[in-house]
Amino acid sequence: MISRRDFLQRVSGAMVAAAASYPLLSWAADNAEVLVPGKEGMIVRSARFLDLEMPPEFADSWITPVHHFFVRNHMHEPSTLDASVWRLTVGGEVEKPLTLSLADLAKLEPHTLTNTLECAGNGRGFQQPKVPGVQWGKGAVGTARFTGPRLRDLLQRAGLKSSGKHVMFRGLDEIPGKVPAFIRSIPVEKATDSDTLVATHMNGAPLTKHHGFPARCLVPGWIGAASCKWLTEIKVLDKEFEGNFMKPAYRMPNQPIAPGGQVNPDDTHAVTGLNVKSIIAGPADGLLLRSKAVHIHGAAWAGEADVVRVEISTDFGATWRPAQLSKEHAHYAWRFWSYDWKAPKAGDYTLMSRATDNQGRIQPQSAEWNPSGYLYNAIDQVKIHVAA
Amino acid sequence: MSQRDSFQNFSVRQCVWTVVLFALLSVLQLWSQSPDLPPGPVQGKVRTACLECHDSHIIVQQRLSKAAWTKEVDKMIKWGAVVDAADRDAFIDYLSTNFPPDKPAEPMSRTSSPKKPDHP
Repeated sequence: MISRRDFLQRVSGAMVAAAASYPLLSWAADNAEVLVPGKEGMIVRSARFLDLEMPPEFADSWITPVHHFFVRNHMHEPSTLDASVWRLTVGGEVEKPLTLSLADLAKLEPHTLTNTLECAGNGRGFQQPKVPGVQWGKGAVGTARFTGPRLRDLLQRAGLKSSGKHVMFRGLDEIPGKVPAFIRSIPVEKATDSDTLVATHMNGAPLTKHHGFPARCLVPGWIGAASCKWLTEIKVLDKEFEGNFMKPAYRMPNQPIAPGGQVNPDDTHAVTGLNVKSIIAGPADGLLLRSKAVHIHGAAWAGEADVVRVEISTDFGATWRPAQLSKEHAHYAWRFWSYDWKAPKAGDYTLMSRATDNQGRIQPQSAEWNPSGYLYNAIDQVKIHVAA
Repeated sequence: MSQRDSFQNFSVRQCVWTVVLFALLSVLQLWSQSPDLPPGPVQGKVRTACLECHDSHIIVQQRLSKAAWTKEVDKMIKWGAVVDAADRDAFIDYLSTNFPPDKPAEPMSRTSSPKKPDHP
């Protein structure tokens, strides 16, 4: 028979356990949420592997805070990363292969670059017909200040041979099953560009694990996949790397194809620079407004080119009016823009934004369809209702 | 048994049960972080084969034709998904029936906010 004291002890024990487990129960009760410390309020495209999208309304700071910066992982993040034992090798078509520690990297001259990083598949979810892959909306994009030595300095120190044509990067991603390793390469011309970095810092702080600690490539103006995270090996090759993530993945058809059409893999090229593109950060799609005065704002970017114009249409593209470009700008970085509009009367409206860059590229009415949904850049639009 | 011994024994038991409860709830939490796969004849097998490497978000957001699902299933088998050859067609049927092109988009979930971020 249970004594009164035992009973009270058991009850109190159960209460302690229940109280301690309450936060877990709360999480479990809300099955719509995923907890990723340091990444609150992000859209979950995948919890494992981690793929997080920035909601458009978070595009309110020219430099995206790290906690709002999108995360794209193809594999599992490295389970252990110890900066004291981490090493970066530089080999292949070089005279003197190198092995560098994080302290060695820190001794090289640092360079800081403000760069808009965008996943090649950003906007894939808008493609019609639908294509497989992470169904990104508008926010697999962000802008940060990246700091680290120039890749060119590492290659020069290693003695880059003239036979070197491509530079391959390998990260420490943990590979599930028989999935091919996430290895890609970039042409030597881009690798030796003075703006291509081996970044160790993001927005003035060491890279976080989700963004490639302790070091990642930063290939400015190019698709995010070029900027290999958790970098551990740089290898100079005499030709483009041949592997799944160079072919068939991350390739665009050489000729435009009809939506849903088939592509000959040999008639494709590797995806490199980003498209010209704008997104509307506010007002939010579907918003009900109580005032006819509408502040329309967003961001526009163009990879290696510069945005020179953003225009707004409120009449389905019949007329376009120039938006105000913000003063903050940098090569490779997005440009914020805004447009104050007065709705003529209450009703439903579609707001559209269109960017143009200094290469003459204009954001198109519909994006070039391709089987993997890369580089989506159709004119952005949001629908609002003005009730005033 | 003295009151002190009893207290110590109780504390150990209490700790063990608390740890067990935490472990169970942690598993529950991991499950709850991902949408469940819809019922169907191979629901359990799809769960076992596919969720070994990734969670269900990436499955339920796809809107693909049967031909496209066939390519995906074959690619995943090539990449190590353990699918009995006799189940391949049932996998394709299950995925193309539940996640076809004309199904409305899956609602998006957000990462939760237990505290204010203190990151740069």
